[in-house]
Amino acid sequence: MTTTALPNPSASGAGRPPLPVKMVIAGGFGVGKTTTVASISEIDPLTTEASITEVAAGVDDLTHTPHKTTTTVAMDFGVITLDPTLKLYLFGTPGQDRFGFMWDDLVAGALGGLVIVDTRRLDDCFAAVDYFENKGLPFAVGINVFDGNLDHDLDEVRWALDIPDSVPLVLFDARERGSVRDALLVVLELALQRAEEE
Amino acid sequence: MSGSDDTSGRRGEGVVRPLRPYVDPPEEDEPATGSASAPVDASAPGTAASATAAAAGPGPVGEPVRRSLSVRPFLVTAGRTTDADRLPLETQVVTTAAGLDALPSLTFEQHDIVAACREPLSLAELAARLQHHLNVVRVLAGDLRSAGHLTVHAPQADAAHDLSVLRRVIDGLRAVPDSRGLTRDNNRPA
Ligand SMILES: Nc1nc2c(ncn2[C@@H]2O[C@H](COP(=O)(O)OP(=O)(O)O)[C@@H](O)[C@H]2O)c(=O)[nH]1
Ligand SMILES: [Mg+2]
Repeated sequence: MTTTALPNPSASGAGRPPLPVKMVIAGGFGVGKTTTVASISEIDPLTTEASITEVAAGVDDLTHTPHKTTTTVAMDFGVITLDPTLKLYLFGTPGQDRFGFMWDDLVAGALGGLVIVDTRRLDDCFAAVDYFENKGLPFAVGINVFDGNLDHDLDEVRWALDIPDSVPLVLFDARERGSVRDALLVVLELALQRAEEE
Repeated sequence: MSGSDDTSGRRGEGVVRPLRPYVDPPEEDEPATGSASAPVDASAPGTAASATAAAAGPGPVGEPVRRSLSVRPFLVTAGRTTDADRLPLETQVVTTAAGLDALPSLTFEQHDIVAACREPLSLAELAARLQHHLNVVRVLAGDLRSAGHLTVHAPQADAAHDLSVLRRVIDGLRAVPDSRGLTRDNNRPA
């Protein structure tokens, strides 16, 4: 029975599908979200149209927003089969500007988030950082080391990003599978630590 | 590609701390860095185009898609009732034997979904493969489930807080080899 490779749907749906879990890859346009997903996904990243809620620019508090609109965006994602019973989905947030949006659909039930930063445009990540903070989602900030150069030290970047020490800050290379894996593990270790404290 | 137009940070000259307009709201008359151009960016061609495409794209679902979404609280999965439009993207969908039998009689979109889900697929994968808006797939999958042609397996609601799930994910990810074939823990070939 364990030699059956595929679940057999004709057995009245008996084959239980794998448990799906997900993580969210966020950050500004062009920071390397799709590259990150592609590096570790076992399928070429897929794109689907989904709805997000956009918040009027200029608001100061995502929880008290008067003007929201639903917008259709293209969202890409990949998947890693961790074992036959467990699939990890990675969803890249749609490349929006740095103002308000709500990916509630994307983030509901997510294990954690990775906010990717390009040090040349730090402020592009703030909306994602704020959103995850508001949602209480465990997340790390990953500096994508384009071309292997990092001209700033991490403390300096942390200061500029204005993130608390509780948010891990990691250097990684979006093109390197092992590097992406390790950045995701930092997020998951944080999620585990938080869950253990609950 | 993004390097030529940077203005907010300068490489090699220390980090410039940009303003966070929505965290520390500037005064009304204070020039907020970059905020003036943001609404324009937000409605950039890509967004507008895809919104239009979705409005026109969903095709013959039989009724206006948006309207139908909010009134279909029909999916019962793993003992829980869920609104169709709340089903997470990673929800697994699997064809039943009855679904396979019914294939010849199904409409085009339904047929595609039932045929695709012989192996478990997430709603997101289904939407991407069939090139439908995610919400359309949610509705169609919900209908097919009601008809007994699919089973719908919502993810474990509290997975993010379940220690054993988190540990399994961590262990599974550690075992993923890097491009040189090395796993995380061992630095040895997997
Ligand atoms: N040299 C270099 N290029 C990268 C790196 N990460 C991403 N890119 C490139 O930067 C561009 C934007 O990356 P993409 O993943 O599409 O960004 P997204 O908009 O966040 O999804 C693409 O042309 C990538 O090939 C990196 O680490 N090094
Ligand atoms: Mg992308």
